[in-house]
Formats: sequence, C-alpha cells, structure tokens
Amino acid sequence: MGDPFDLTAGWVQEHLLIPVLYQFGLMNWEDVSYGWALFALYGAAQVAVTFAVCLPLERWRPVERWPDSDAVWVDAAYTVLSRVGVLPLVTYVLFYRAQVFVGGWMADRDLVSPTLEGLFPVLLGRQVATFVLYAVILDFADYWRHRLSHQFRWWWALHSLHHAQRQMTFWSDDRNHLVDDLISFVWFGFIALLIGVPPLQFPLLVLVLRFLESLSHANVRLSFGWVGDRVLISPRFHRAHHGVRAAGDRSCNYGAVLPWWDMLFGTADFAREYVETGDPSGDETLATGSYWQQQWAGLRRFGCVLRQRLARLRA
Amino acid sequence: MRRLFCLLFLLFAAPAWAGGIAFVVNSGGASISVIDMATQKEVRRIPSLREPHHLMLSPDGRSLLVGDTAGNQMLFLDPNTGAVQQRVPMADPYQLGFSPDGKFLTVTGLARNQVDVYDSGSLKLIKRFPVIATPSHLAYAPDSSTVFVSLQDSDKLVAFDLHAMTEKWTVPVGKTPAGVMWLNGRVLVADMGTDAIAVVDPANGSVLDHVVTGKGAHNLFLSPDRKILWVNNRAGGTTVSLDSATLKPIRSYAIPGGPDDMEFAPNGKIWITRRWAEKVAVLDPVTGSYETIAVGRSPHGIWLNPKAPSPAVISSR
Repeated sequence: MGDPFDLTAGWVQEHLLIPVLYQFGLMNWEDVSYGWALFALYGAAQVAVTFAVCLPLERWRPVERWPDSDAVWVDAAYTVLSRVGVLPLVTYVLFYRAQVFVGGWMADRDLVSPTLEGLFPVLLGRQVATFVLYAVILDFADYWRHRLSHQFRWWWALHSLHHAQRQMTFWSDDRNHLVDDLISFVWFGFIALLIGVPPLQFPLLVLVLRFLESLSHANVRLSFGWVGDRVLISPRFHRAHHGVRAAGDRSCNYGAVLPWWDMLFGTADFAREYVETGDPSGDETLATGSYWQQQWAGLRRFGCVLRQRLARLRA
Repeated sequence: MRRLFCLLFLLFAAPAWAGGIAFVVNSGGASISVIDMATQKEVRRIPSLREPHHLMLSPDGRSLLVGDTAGNQMLFLDPNTGAVQQRVPMADPYQLGFSPDGKFLTVTGLARNQVDVYDSGSLKLIKRFPVIATPSHLAYAPDSSTVFVSLQDSDKLVAFDLHAMTEKWTVPVGKTPAGVMWLNGRVLVADMGTDAIAVVDPANGSVLDHVVTGKGAHNLFLSPDRKILWVNNRAGGTTVSLDSATLKPIRSYAIPGGPDDMEFAPNGKIWITRRWAEKVAVLDPVTGSYETIAVGRSPHGIWLNPKAPSPAVISSR
C-alpha cells in the first residue's frame, strides 16, 4: 500500500490533469502538474485538518464573540489561495529552478552544493531527524524575518496587513500582502539554498508545522501550560504578538512555531493574557476590505512610506 | 546419491541466492528501491540527495550510475549489491548514456538546458552544448559518431557530432519529443504531445513517417532479441508492442498510472515503472496480466541485474 496522498495525487494527475494537458497540447507541463496535484492535496489536507481541529476549539472557548464575521471570510480566501492555489506551485517551481541553477553552477566547479546531509552524512536516509533539523533552522530564520518586518517602517507598511485583523482566527495565518509574501519567498529561498532544503521531501511534516502556525492564530483561550508554552507556540503566546498595543516595533513574541528564539533574544512575553488584536495605526480597509482592497491599501501604505523616505533623503 | 543431493540442492537453493536484484529510482522520493527479483519485494531503499531519475551501467560493468538532478550529484552503486561506491558532483544529471564504443558519457541537463559530453573513463567534461529547451532523452548512432537528444519543451530533436563536437542540426519532429532510439538506420522519436512516434532521417532530421502507438507516446525500448519494439504511452496508460522490422503494432496492454521506463527479465516478463502509482508493473506479455511491486514516489528509471545474488541473502551475510 502506497502513500494515500501520492496515490490520490496520481489519480488526479491521470484522470483529470493529463487528459486536459493532452487535449490542449501542454504535455510538457506533466511533471509540474503532478507537483501541483501533490501540493494542492497536502494544502487541502492542511486546511481540512486545521478546520476540523480549530473550529471546535474556537466554538468551545472563544476569546471573543463577534456579531458578524464577514472579515473572517476574506482570511479564509487567503488561506485557500496560499495553500491550495497557484502560490505554492509558483514558489515550488521558482525555488526548484534556483536550486538546480546554484547547485549546477557549483558542481561545474567541483564544489558540492550545500546540504545538511552533505555536512552530516549520518542524516542521509534519516528523514525525520533531517526534517527536524531543517525545521529548526528555518524557524530561526523566520524569527528574524518576522522581527525585522516589524522594525523597518517600509516593511511594516506591508506586514501590517497581517496585523490589521481585529477578528483573528485560525484563518488569519495566511493573510499577508503579496509583496510581503514575495520578500518571505526570497528570504527563505536564500536560506534554503544555503542549507539545501528539499522542496517536496517532507510534505506530511510540513503539514504539521503549518497546522501549528494556524492554531497559534486561533480565537481560543488555549495555553500549553508553563512548560508547554516554552516548547511550542500556543494561541495564548501568539495572541500577545497580535495585540493592539504590540503593533509595529513595540511587539513581542515573533516566533512562528518555537518560542525559543524569543526567549533567547529577549523578546518573549509570557505575561500578557488574551488581548484585543489589530493595528490601530492602519487604514480600516486593511482590516475589513475585500482581498484586493486590502492588497491595494497595503501597497498604498508601502508607497507612502517610500515617498516619505525619499523626501527625507532629498532634504 | 551425493549427485542427486547436489542436484536437488541446486534446484531448490539456487533461486534463493541467484534471484537477481532490481533497482528502481524513486524520483519524487529521493531514493532508489532495491528489489529482490525472486520474491518481487522491495528489501530496502538507498537514499539519494534530492531527485534521482535515470540510471545506467558503466561500460566495464563495475558501477551503476544514478543521476540526481536537483542534488547535482552522480551516485555510483555496486550493481550486485547496491552499495554506494561514490558520490560525484555533477551538474543536473537527468538522462545519461554511454556511447556504444564506450568513449563518451552524454548527460542531459533538463533543468539547465544543457547537454554535457564527458570522457567516460575520467568523467572529465569534454563539451557542453547549450540547447533551446529541456533536453530529455538521448540515443547514439551505432558508430558513436552522433548523439540525438529530444528537447521536450520544444518541438525539436537535436543531433551532435561527437567527432567534431559540434551541433549538426536541430529540427522540429513533433509536439513534445520524448523517448529517442536508433533502429534500423533511422531515429525513432516518441511524441508525448500526440499519439505517434516519428521516424526520422538521421542525416538531416527530416520526418519520414509517423507510427500511431497511443496517446502521449513517451518512451521506446527494444526487446533483447531485437524483434519487438515496445512503446509506453503516458496519457493513454498503455504499453504497445510493434514489430521492430515493419513497425506494425502487435498488441496493446493496459498499464495505468503513467508507464515510463522498462526492463526485460530473463523469464520473459517486462518490468515497467508507473510514475503516478508508486508501483512497478511486472507484465507477462503472453497473458497480458501484470503483478505489481510497491516502491517509492514517482518511480522512474529501472535496471535489472538477474545475475546478482539475492539482496536478502546479502543483508544476512
């Protein structure tokens, strides 16, 4: 019996995608389409598992109750686009190309392209240990990306879209400005090329990590306890990061999965209880606009900061 | 009596230690499955770095080379045991093939749009040919003077002169050219974008004829007795046999799950990788039925060594 995800993706590929590709003379995309089928399935599974676990939790012990939840639906759209749609595919294809180019360039010079398994051959064939090491390094890189996105005004102008949500739920994890996503891609792409992250080798474990990230945004009174909160990031810990008083460069708790980096670099705050979320300094459109209105408002805020910066440089 | 015992021992014990070994490259799982041919069971997996696709025995028979594209590495395995002999950095090794005279190793860099010709002994790069798009499969002229490479994302086939190390021609031969083979003085090109293979004049690349095989004609193989041409049709999910002399179709077999590469076992069975099914089909061409062997994600290249000791016995030594 094979992997059920792989077999389902194979069925989708054989019975749905290949006939269309063949009909339209696009058979040269058949490898990419199989990759997309896998991504889409794992993405759909991420969404389904998150929904199945987080929604009952949010109903059980919500931090807040709202008369209407229209703003949450836009966040749901962000999630579907980000996890099931074309975004992960574009990321995968671009990263794959970059990895082959860099690795090939090095191989031409008799250099071994960097990989953790190359550094530590004992990891070859030990998939879980390898993944955990990759995940810790990437989480560390994400801590600094996230912290810097709060420090630079131009970056915060983009990232504030993520913080504008006053009705924060498990759907809010993926509400990001596209340019902010692009910067994240370049950031992670660079780190991943340095350590040679394999794009499709550990999809199930990626699913677990993405679930934890979604859970940390959930509208639920949930802590993992004194010890647990110091091992993995809980909804209570991450909510403090989204608090109205923590917007911009006054924030805390920047970590995504592990709180260790906040503890190590002095930005952890375990004291704050379940605070209100949102960014009072931002345009209302960023909080309650449609998907494209939010994107446009984020771009305007970004442009405004750049213009101010240019004016200051000229003066 | 002693002779009788010896005979009985050989009869019953031989399959256990000379069952043969099959290698299947799991391109989506970064591994190579080692299969005991006697039991048709996977016994272990050899980890590769990222994305291995194709494999080829070295001319001296001492090493099985496996190209890891995204890992930019060539793995050298012991063809009898699967033990890793060495890992050599190499740019984007997708398809690979030794020239019939054993002098050259041609490697297609599918993602980097390059065709590399190496000295097969020293693995020193002799010539890199940049190409317009995704060099995929390759075949040599029997005199090793020319190598033909399909450019899958274009409609073209390219020919390189291996004496002068120059490009001879690049010509359109079909929608999505994939598998390439030299047969009876012609070059055959499987066209994955259509349901046919193109018969090409090796002198100038002109298409002389088309032979319909099935939707998404992908790869070509010649039976060990050279009498039957086998074609795997990716979109149609079929494997078709043709008379290699006349190119007349003989029989079509349903092999779902994206049939790709193929190997011939001494018992007449045909081993076929099924890319989207995580399985290898072991086809009995007489009955048309097939057994399946579970392997890793996206099984691609396959190679059989029926003379090797059973891998189960090796692991117990």
